[in-house]
Amino acid sequence: MKKKRQRAGFYFVLPWLIGLCVFTALPMVAAVYISMTDWDIVGNADFVGLKNYITLFSTAEFVRSLWVTVRYAVIAVPLIIATSMTIAVLVSKNYRGAGVFRVIYYMPAIVSGVAVAIVFKWILDPSYGLLNGILSFFHIQGPDWLYDPNWVLPSYLIMAVWGAGGGLLTYLAALKDIPEELYGAAMIDGAGTFQKVWYITVPLMTPIIFYNLVLGIIGAFRKFTDAYVLGGAGKEGNFYMVYLYEEAFAHYRMGYATALAWVLFAIILLLTFVVNWTKKYWVYSE
Amino acid sequence: MKGKMVIRFGLVVGLLMLFLAGCGRGNEDKTTFTFATWAAGTELSEFQEIIDKVNEEAGGAYRIEVLSIPSDYYVKISTKIAAKKCPDFFWLTQELISKYAQMGVLADITEAFENSETLTPDMYYDGVVSSAQYDGSYWGLPWIANPMILYCNKDMFRELGVKLPTEDDDWTWQEFIDTCRQFSGKEYKGNTVYGTVIDGWPNIETFIWAGGGDIIAEDGQQIILNSAEAKKGMGYLQTIVKENLSPRYAEVASLGDNNVWFEKQRVAMYFGGIQDNFEKKVSEMSADEQFEIAYAPMPVCDDGGAWSFDWTASTVMAKSLEGNELAYEILETVTKAFFEWKVAPPVKDSLENVIQIDPNKEGAMKTIEYTMPYARSANYIPEWSDINDKLWYNLYVSLLNDASFDYQGKMDEIKEYSEGLVKERK
Amino acid sequence: MKKRRNFEINFSIVRRVMWYVISIAGSCIMLLPFLWMVSTSFKMENEIFTVPISWLPQQITFQNYTRALEVVPIFTCMLNTVIIAVPKILGEVFVSALVAFGFARFEFKGRNAMFMIMLATMMLPYEVTMIPTFMAWSALGFADSYVPLTLPAFCGSASYIFFLKMYFETVPRDYEEAAWIDGASNLRVFRMVFLPLAKPALITICLWSFMGTWNDLLGQLIYIDSQSKYTVQLALASFSSMTGETLWGPLMAASFMALIPVIVLLLYAQKYFMEGVKMGGIKG
Repeated sequence: MKKKRQRAGFYFVLPWLIGLCVFTALPMVAAVYISMTDWDIVGNADFVGLKNYITLFSTAEFVRSLWVTVRYAVIAVPLIIATSMTIAVLVSKNYRGAGVFRVIYYMPAIVSGVAVAIVFKWILDPSYGLLNGILSFFHIQGPDWLYDPNWVLPSYLIMAVWGAGGGLLTYLAALKDIPEELYGAAMIDGAGTFQKVWYITVPLMTPIIFYNLVLGIIGAFRKFTDAYVLGGAGKEGNFYMVYLYEEAFAHYRMGYATALAWVLFAIILLLTFVVNWTKKYWVYSE
Repeated sequence: MKGKMVIRFGLVVGLLMLFLAGCGRGNEDKTTFTFATWAAGTELSEFQEIIDKVNEEAGGAYRIEVLSIPSDYYVKISTKIAAKKCPDFFWLTQELISKYAQMGVLADITEAFENSETLTPDMYYDGVVSSAQYDGSYWGLPWIANPMILYCNKDMFRELGVKLPTEDDDWTWQEFIDTCRQFSGKEYKGNTVYGTVIDGWPNIETFIWAGGGDIIAEDGQQIILNSAEAKKGMGYLQTIVKENLSPRYAEVASLGDNNVWFEKQRVAMYFGGIQDNFEKKVSEMSADEQFEIAYAPMPVCDDGGAWSFDWTASTVMAKSLEGNELAYEILETVTKAFFEWKVAPPVKDSLENVIQIDPNKEGAMKTIEYTMPYARSANYIPEWSDINDKLWYNLYVSLLNDASFDYQGKMDEIKEYSEGLVKERK
Repeated sequence: MKKRRNFEINFSIVRRVMWYVISIAGSCIMLLPFLWMVSTSFKMENEIFTVPISWLPQQITFQNYTRALEVVPIFTCMLNTVIIAVPKILGEVFVSALVAFGFARFEFKGRNAMFMIMLATMMLPYEVTMIPTFMAWSALGFADSYVPLTLPAFCGSASYIFFLKMYFETVPRDYEEAAWIDGASNLRVFRMVFLPLAKPALITICLWSFMGTWNDLLGQLIYIDSQSKYTVQLALASFSSMTGETLWGPLMAASFMALIPVIVLLLYAQKYFMEGVKMGGIKG
C-alpha cells in the first residue's frame, strides 16, 4: 500500500518529464553534436571530433575568462547569500512601513540589467562618480574602478551586493514559516538577537540557503548582462559567458562556443554534486 | 508494469509531437519578399514609409514585407539563416560583407550590378562601393555613406585665439596636432578644455591611414600592419595621448558619450560622421549654451589623401535569390529610394539630396563635397572580427592607457597573428 | 523588576529607531538607479549627461513621455506581454508545484537521478540551445508566434520546481500522514495541505514568472517578428537602434511606464510574502 503510494510520485513529475523529452532533450542532444563541429551558424557544419575541446584548453582567453569568473564566484556567492539573508531578517520585522522596504530592497531584481549597468557606470566613474565623491569626502583617493584592472573584480562585487535583494523573496517565504513559539522560547532563555538568528533562523532556513547556493553558483558562472555592457580594464571584465557569447555571435564560432558551454556545464554540475553531497551535514530536513 | 508505463509515456510524447506538427503552416508565394532592418522606433516608421511607397509603385508585381530587429540584430539574422528562414533582403555593415559572403549566404550580384542601366558601380564613390566587394565580386548595394569630418566650436576658437581650419583645408595631421596643442591647459567657460576627444573613437583605421599605411593589403591576403607608414600613423595617436591633447581615457566615459564633450563645449574639435546632428542639438539648447559650429575636412594623410573613415552599410540578398531578376530589380529600386532618405547618398552627383534630407547641413556642404571622394573603409576580410579584437584590446586601449606603451612591437605581433588566421582560412 | 521593564521599553525604542535608520539608508542605495531613471525621464535632453550627475531635473518636462508614446505603442506592447505572461504563470506555477510535490514527498524509483537531471538542465547556457530550439519550432511552422514562448511553461520550470521542492521538504510529515490515514487521495493532500501551506512561495513564483516574461528580451526577440506582436522589452529596445543614437529621455520615460505595473503588483503581493499560515489551522 505504502509502496504504491510512493510510486504515485512518478505521475506528479510526469509533466516535467514530458517537457524534458519534448522541449529540452532535443536541443541538448543537438548541442552535443554542435560542440563537435565547426558550425558558423549561417553556413555548413563539418564534424571535427574533439578538436574544439582540445583547442579550448590551450586558449589563453579561455583560461583567463574562467579565472575571472571563478574568482568572482568564490567571493560573490557567499557574499550575496549573507547580504540577502541580512536584508530578509531586517525587513521581516512587522514594523510600520516594513512592506514598503520589502519592495524597495527587491527593486534591483525588477529593474532591467541594462539600466542598472548604466547607472553603475556613473556610480563607479573615476572622476565624477558617486562612490569616489563619497570617498573624497573622507579624504580618500578612490581608485579608477572599472578602468583599473585590479579594481574590476571589486567593482563587480559591489554591484553583486547591491543586487543581493533579488534573493529576498526566497528567504522571506521561508522566514515566515518559523513558528513564533520557537522565538518565544528563546526569549525566555534570554537569547540575544544574534543568537536567535544563528541558532533558530539560520538552521530552519538551510533548505532555502541550499537552494540559493546552487542557484547562486549557476548565476555566478553564467554572469553576463552587466559584464557585457560594462566590460572592464585589461579584459578583467571578460567573464566566461561574455567570452562564450562573443565567440558565438561576434566571431561566428558556434561549435567552439558550444564546447565552451559544455565545459561550463561540467564545472557547474561538479560543484552542484559537491554541494549536494554536503547537504546531509548541514541542511535541515523534516 | 514498468513496460506499460514506458509505452504510456511514449504515447503521450508522440501525441504531443503530432499535435505540434499539425499546427504547422504552409509556404509563402514567390512574389512576396521580406526585408530585415535594424531600423526601429522613429527610424522604422520612415523606413516603412519608403517601403510602402515602393510597394505601391510596384502595382502588385511584388510586395515587400518589413522585418524589424530592434536589438541584437546579427544574433537574430544568423538564427533565422540557420533555421533556413533567411530574409530575402537585409542590411549588412561593411566589415561583415566578406564574412557573410565567405560563409555562402549572400547572392553574388556582380553581373546584374555591372550591367544595370540605372545603377552601376562607377556611379558610386570608389571608396564606398569597394566596401561591398570581396573576392572579386559584389555582394550588396551600399545605401548610405557616413564619412568623418571635424566639427569645430567656432566660438571657442575665436575666444582662445586659435586659428580655425577652413572648411576645405588641405591641412596635415601635424597641423591638426599643433592646433590641439594650442588648447592645452586653457580654460573656457569655467572648464578646462582640450583640443579633441579620443577614446577608441575615431577608430584605429583613421590613425593607421594618417601615416599613409593600412592594415590589410588590397589583395585581402597580406597583412601590412607592420609597415613604417602604419607605425608612423600610430605615432600621431601616441603624441595626442602623451601630450594630453584629449581628456584621459578613464575620464571620457563620465559624460556618457564622447560626443557630449563637444556638445558641452569641453573640446574644440570632434571627429564626427557627416550625419551627426549637432546642428539640431545646439539649436535646441538654451541661449547661453549655444555655440557656432564650423567644419573642417579630415587632415591629409602622409600619402596625400584626406582619407575619411566611412561608416557604410549595404543591402544584401539571400543566396537563394542569386540570378533572380525580379529580386535584383527590387534591390535596386529600394536602394535608390534610400538615397533620398539618409545622409549621405553613396553615389556621385547626389549632393543636393543632402540639403533636401537635412537642411541643417547647409554650412557643412563645402566640407562634405571635399570629403566624399576620400570616403573609404578598410579592406575587411572574414578574419576581421578577430584582428579587430586584437587591435582594440591589445593595441589601441593599451596605448590610450599608457603613452609609453611599445605599440610598434605590438603591431608586429598582431601582424604575425593575423597572417596566421588568414593562412587557416578554408 | 519595574526598572528592568523600563529598560526593556527603552531598548526596544532604540532598536526600532536603529531599524528605521538602517532600512532607510539601505533603501536609498537600492533606489539609486531607479531614481536616476525617473528623474531622467523628466529632464530636457541636454540635462541628461552632466558633470556631476544631476539627480533632480532643473526644469520638469513631459516631452519625453509624449515622445515615447509616439515612438512605440507601449500600452499595446504591455497588453501583448500580459497575453504571454498569464498562460505562462498558470502553467509554470501550478505544474511546478505539482512536480515539486512529487519530488519532495514521494520515494519512487529514479527520483534522485531525475532530480539531478532537472538541475542539470539549468546549467547549460541558453545561448547555445537557443538556435537548435528555434530551428525546431520554426520547422514546425511556429514562426512569429507566442506558442514557443508559452507552451513549454506547461511542463514546469526547473528552478521553480527546485525552489518549491526545498520549500515542501520543510513541511512536517505528520500533516500528510494524518490526511492519508483519513483516506485522502494524493491529489487531495496536495490541494488541501500543500498548496495552502505554500501560498507565500507560490506567490513568489507568480511574481518571478511574471517578471521573467516582462523582462525577457532575447527569447521574445528571436520568436516575434511582427510589430503588432511586440512586447515591452522589444518596445524598449526600439529606442536605441544600431545606427541612430539612443533616445535616453524617452527610453527612461518608457522604462518607467513599463515598471509601474510591476511595482503595483509587487506592492500588492508583498503582504502575502509574510502572511503566516497558522500552523494549527490546517484541516485534513
